[in-house]
Amino acid sequence: MLPGKNLTFLIILGLFIFLSVSETISAEPAAKTGGQVYGAGVENIESVSISAIAADPEAYNGKTVRVEGMVTDVCAKRGCWIELAGGASGAKARFKVADGEMVFPMSAKGRSAVAQGRVVTETLSLEDARALEAHFAKEAGREFDPESVTEGRTVFRIQGTGAVIGDAGADD
Amino acid sequence: MLHRDIGNFVAALTLVYCISGIAVNHIEDWNPNYQFSQEEINIGALPEGSYPDMQRYVVKSLDIDPASVRGHFMETDSQFRVFLDNTEEVSVDIHTGQGLFKQVKTRALFYEMNALHLNNIKGAWTWIADIFAVLLIFLAITGIFIMNGRQGLTGRGKWFLAAGLVVPVVFSWFVIA
Repeated sequence: MLPGKNLTFLIILGLFIFLSVSETISAEPAAKTGGQVYGAGVENIESVSISAIAADPEAYNGKTVRVEGMVTDVCAKRGCWIELAGGASGAKARFKVADGEMVFPMSAKGRSAVAQGRVVTETLSLEDARALEAHFAKEAGREFDPESVTEGRTVFRIQGTGAVIGDAGADD
Repeated sequence: MLHRDIGNFVAALTLVYCISGIAVNHIEDWNPNYQFSQEEINIGALPEGSYPDMQRYVVKSLDIDPASVRGHFMETDSQFRVFLDNTEEVSVDIHTGQGLFKQVKTRALFYEMNALHLNNIKGAWTWIADIFAVLLIFLAITGIFIMNGRQGLTGRGKWFLAAGLVVPVVFSWFVIA
């Protein structure tokens, strides 16, 4: 009788049994949307266009919105945000989540996505606007000229509660 | 006996957590998950027309398989981006045709180890990580008492135990507080 070997065997067996009856991962295929669900997913409510929010962020401040678009950028370090483009050229929304709450892979770039969260606006001074753009430039690995930002402005982000990233590209 | 068997059982996962821990500790200096590369391109000014026309021109100019195109986006008045499978992207100035062909590759093993360490996948892994942590707690406690006599807690062991305690206490007291 070798109790040590038996114990190890029982532990491994227990883990396999546990795994076989557990959910595997929180990001799983969404039957209706054909994509990966992150966080709480999205509700079946009408989507707001990203360009509409970008045109008048204050009108949406504090409101919960669902948006649709193509993933154009992903936080490369922690996967804690994605940028969605939709509507007019250049119109983008940053969909931000707490670090580790949802982790978006770089492979999401170019895929269609639906996301839901609360719009948060912030009015920035010229100095803060430059600091923010410098931060974005550093994240994206590109050079930044502070003189390219000439005035303060109101920015917005969507504080995310859930998203579904499609299996297909935005053009598929 | 238990200490030895559990020690063997958690060895692999301990290495995963330690290696990933070092990797993500230095996230400000390198990206522990991805490798980035880019190549300068010049395909000439894009033809005037619709965005799908521009996309077709980019794809044809760079001999890209059209089936690999995921989408396009007009980032600014001049910056046009085409997204491709395998996390590839073409970013080009529509007036000059100059731009970049960007590629992103996951770091083999690190990507998987970091996902496990940081519990990116949630679900069942949360429970496995909890069980793993409990086993490590068991190892730590039994390890303190495993030796007797001069090598144990009543001998030189107490000094090493105290030295190990001093490090987090000092940082908590003088750095965090």
